Amino acid sequence: MPKPSDSDDTRIKRSTFLKGLIGLAIAGGTGKFLYDRYNTLAHVPVRLLGPSMDFGHMVRDGSLKLDPNAPVSKKVKVLIIGGGIAGLSAGWWLKKEGIEDFMLLELEGKTGGNSASGENRVSAYPRGAHYIPLANAESTYVRMLFQELGIIETVDATGIATYNDLYLCHDPEERLFKDGSFQEGLVPNRGLRPEEKAEIERFFKVIVDYRNRRGSDGKPAFAIPLDLSSRDEEFLALDKMSMEQWLKQNNFSARPLLWYVDYCTRDDYGAKPADVSAWAGIHYFAGRRGRAANAEQNAVVTWPQGNGFVVQKLTEKLASHITTDACVFHIESKADAVRTAYIDRKSRKTFLIEADHLIFACPRFILPRVLKQDASKKSIDLDYVKEVVYPPWMVANITLRSLPPARGIARAWDNVCYLSDSLGYVVATHQNISTRLSSPTVITYYYPLADRRPDNGRMALYRADPEDWKESIVEDLMRMHPTIDRYIESIELWPWGHGMVSPGLGYIWGDTRQKLLQDLDRIVFAHSDMSGISNFEESQYRGVEAAIKVKAQLS
Amino acid sequence: MTWALLITAFVISTCGLIYELIAGTVASYLLGDSVTQFSTIIGVYLFFMGVGSFLSKYVEKNIILTFVQVELLVGLVGGSSATILFFMFEYVENFRILLYSLVGIIGVLIGIEIPLLMRILKGQLEFKDLVSKVFTFDYVGALLASLVFPLVLVPYLGLVRSSFLFGIFNVLVAIWTLHLFRKEIPWLNSMRTIAFTLVVGLTLGFAFSEKLVKMAETTSYHEHIIYSKSSPYQRIVITGGKRFKLFLNGNLQFNSQDEYRYHEALIHPALGSLPEAKKVLILGGGDGMAAREILKYPQVESITLVDLDPALTNLFSKQKLFIELNQDSLNSPRVKVINKDAFVWLRHCKQKFDLVVVDFPDPSNFSLGKLYTDTFYRQVKKVVNPDSLVVIQSTSPYFARNSFWCVVSTLESVGFKTIPYHAYVPSFGDWGYIIAWEGGASDSAGFQFGHHYPSGLKYVSKDSVASMLDFPADMKPSVREVNKLNNQSLVHLFEAEWDEYAETF
Ligand SMILES: Cc1cc2nc3c(=O)[nH]c(=O)nc-3n(C[C@H](O)[C@H](O)[C@H](O)COP(=O)(O)OP(=O)(O)OC[C@H]3O[C@@H](n4cnc5c(N)ncnc54)[C@H](O)[C@@H]3O)c2cc1C
Repeated sequence: MPKPSDSDDTRIKRSTFLKGLIGLAIAGGTGKFLYDRYNTLAHVPVRLLGPSMDFGHMVRDGSLKLDPNAPVSKKVKVLIIGGGIAGLSAGWWLKKEGIEDFMLLELEGKTGGNSASGENRVSAYPRGAHYIPLANAESTYVRMLFQELGIIETVDATGIATYNDLYLCHDPEERLFKDGSFQEGLVPNRGLRPEEKAEIERFFKVIVDYRNRRGSDGKPAFAIPLDLSSRDEEFLALDKMSMEQWLKQNNFSARPLLWYVDYCTRDDYGAKPADVSAWAGIHYFAGRRGRAANAEQNAVVTWPQGNGFVVQKLTEKLASHITTDACVFHIESKADAVRTAYIDRKSRKTFLIEADHLIFACPRFILPRVLKQDASKKSIDLDYVKEVVYPPWMVANITLRSLPPARGIARAWDNVCYLSDSLGYVVATHQNISTRLSSPTVITYYYPLADRRPDNGRMALYRADPEDWKESIVEDLMRMHPTIDRYIESIELWPWGHGMVSPGLGYIWGDTRQKLLQDLDRIVFAHSDMSGISNFEESQYRGVEAAIKVKAQLS
Repeated sequence: MTWALLITAFVISTCGLIYELIAGTVASYLLGDSVTQFSTIIGVYLFFMGVGSFLSKYVEKNIILTFVQVELLVGLVGGSSATILFFMFEYVENFRILLYSLVGIIGVLIGIEIPLLMRILKGQLEFKDLVSKVFTFDYVGALLASLVFPLVLVPYLGLVRSSFLFGIFNVLVAIWTLHLFRKEIPWLNSMRTIAFTLVVGLTLGFAFSEKLVKMAETTSYHEHIIYSKSSPYQRIVITGGKRFKLFLNGNLQFNSQDEYRYHEALIHPALGSLPEAKKVLILGGGDGMAAREILKYPQVESITLVDLDPALTNLFSKQKLFIELNQDSLNSPRVKVINKDAFVWLRHCKQKFDLVVVDFPDPSNFSLGKLYTDTFYRQVKKVVNPDSLVVIQSTSPYFARNSFWCVVSTLESVGFKTIPYHAYVPSFGDWGYIIAWEGGASDSAGFQFGHHYPSGLKYVSKDSVASMLDFPADMKPSVREVNKLNNQSLVHLFEAEWDEYAETF
């Protein structure tokens, strides 16, 4: 059967083909152009930094060895290992006491530890600790330091301090993104049912009660530093249950309240209420009694670089004693001295220091890796170190062309999203006194990996591609700021494999911490993990207390 | 084919309604009074749709080609309508003519479309089916448009982008029609080329619309804009003609007609009491008007003016119109302009001044609020002598009385003595100022006005100053707070008070 002529329909003519190609090219070009324009995120550079891992691993697997014939490079009276707040505070106190013959070794290129900070052309910014609450009356070392650094300007006859206005966190301090817009403060207060509201009020009543309670020993129920707290059984019993259990026991079940408490334990301890002791959970709220003549009770002090400000001030004071890039891998406690070896990370040279006394101001999990036991003696059991838990954190510093818009009240220093796994962000330029309308800024985003066991968290922390981190962080931020992706200039990721210590059940008032508090011959310890709660006040307390002990042994 | 065409009806009607809504919204933004805008636009639009339907009967040949051409035109005009309206607002004499012409053109085109479409479909469906189907799709499209517009388009895309987007849809319908009837249409290739060019053009418009919107934003001022610029610090807009107004971030700073009242009241009560004043500091005041008043005193040897925005001080030291108004004060050899942040500059300042004039914009946001805090006034205290004076513009004691008295309390909290006063400036209303001085312990007598005024003042005199000191009961405060960096009380008060005022009008 003859087919109808269909050559025109089925065969593609050359000209049609060419036109098609051109059409495709145009379409493709516009498509790509549009994609690039709207997928602005793809171009945002992301840098993965963080505490150095290379030498840490060498210390851990024992590949760094000290030559038994190595000569002693230096002899000092006191050697401090670790330049975090605890180590720096130990040095600060020694110097105050007139002891100059000491050295401080810090693994990183800069001091600071968990209170480290960074800086770019826009602003300085924190990489960890970012604020300190007003000091309690009993936090004497903190008050002393604050006065020395001009953070506290004057103290009146009744002991009430006037703080430097430029350091007190400017208003608005905190806002919470809930139900589609920002509300003032972090305690949910919008869209609550009456019974939820009542429960939140009841919770704070209980807290205020605890804040003002004293034990039968006359000490405050919850003090800062926590070692000054009452040992009354009534309060210590709280350490044996989890915050979650305590909430249940006291019939707290309103979702907004449970969220708020969950936020707080993640914020201060990097862990969920189920994994934090009730004593620690309540301490967060009931411990703070600091007052100022010129601020409200819950005020805090903060700086663009966070607690890096204090680190810098202390570092300036101790400059001549500090050696950075010094990775300690060997500690030997002898009858007459402590021998410590470190490798200079830059020159890769090893140095051996002999000290009369050692202040070990590193997290305790490092100790078994560096302490060389004397084979002739009964070995010291360091197994308790495994009980100390350090949840991992991701901190991201995000440089923005300006703060993106959001619904609700004006931008605050601390910005949190209801029901998010992260803790939101703080604004580094919040304390600026400049009047620019919209200027570039850096925001610091905090994300504790609190929903899994710390070692699993650490794997997740390091395994994920920086690009994936970028995407999930921006996605989270977009809940508060739908257009933030268009404001981002760059992102710096700072993973903390071992963040701050978290106070699990029975940690603070149980056996483990007792073991952490004990000296080891000529070694005295100083680190916030000895408190079980990691914050500026505890770290400083541990540092100063260690220095006081050493001073007593010296004379 | 039939279904394809019915979907076309659906798209067309959606697009049509969207253009109408866009025109209505843009008009309400720019002209205000949304009820009038929406009703007149809907009326004009429907009427011209009728005109279009009427005209459709004159289309006899090439129905499909005409349909495609109309479709392309709708895409072009409708798609760029929001942009045209925003842009031309500044430039055309009578904006309404442009507005209604655009609405009319779109109406006519849409009015032609549906009848043409029905005629195209005529051969394929029975009449009653045809009418019922086409209108069903038409009305469903309208429903979709009216829901999508407020819920999705305005919040997520904005007006300019939505209009481009629907322009693209219109052109795609045209392309589709061309494809369906590729065998019957004359000039197929040139029509296709036009259609593709339009798609690319509208897409580019869509992509860059953010920039377009930014440029069009200035149009929210009610008068002719003669100058506008965004500096990193603020948005400067000047409107008017012979008489003009300066806006910073949308807030009126002065009106050339009565600014003399504001500036005379700011300067003379204080400076007229300082016959020995040699060194004067102005914080803010980049328009040079305060400097102009100060230069009337021969004893003043130097004026230091600290304003953060070079864009503003340049404007008022270079442009003829403004130089005439400030009498070229910024170029006077006695005036030194420093473009720094006042707060930051003060902290490093080592000099002392006989008079400090603090003339900042109102504390309408948290960063401006910092310039009214006790911490700031403590810095001011560092640069004055015991017998120096400070004068501060401090918002309206009538509209924002607690705010005004908050500034007074804040000054007193750092140890200043104060004399609050107020003057009537028609463009602003009743406006407040505060004279402050340190006054040593010996100075219990307080402050005496000297009234040594230069000649030629139009407002300030011994008598008018006396009346400025009286505060009637409706200007007295109900609360007294001190504004600090860590409470920003003033911004909270100010927001609450102006909100309340805005609500009642
Ligand atoms: C993400 C994050 C946010 C935080 N936010 C706050 C906050 O806002 N406010 C607050 O008060 N606290 C905050 N903290 C708690 C913080 O941990 C403490 O404030 C404080 O910085 C802890 O100091 P430290 O001296 O006890 O310990 P670290 O900071 O752990 O100091 C230990 C130091 O030892 C060094 N080191 C380790 N191994 C070696 C080695 N082999 N050789 C030499 N040196 C070594 C480390 O580099 C480090 O500098 C935060 C912590 C984290 C992780």
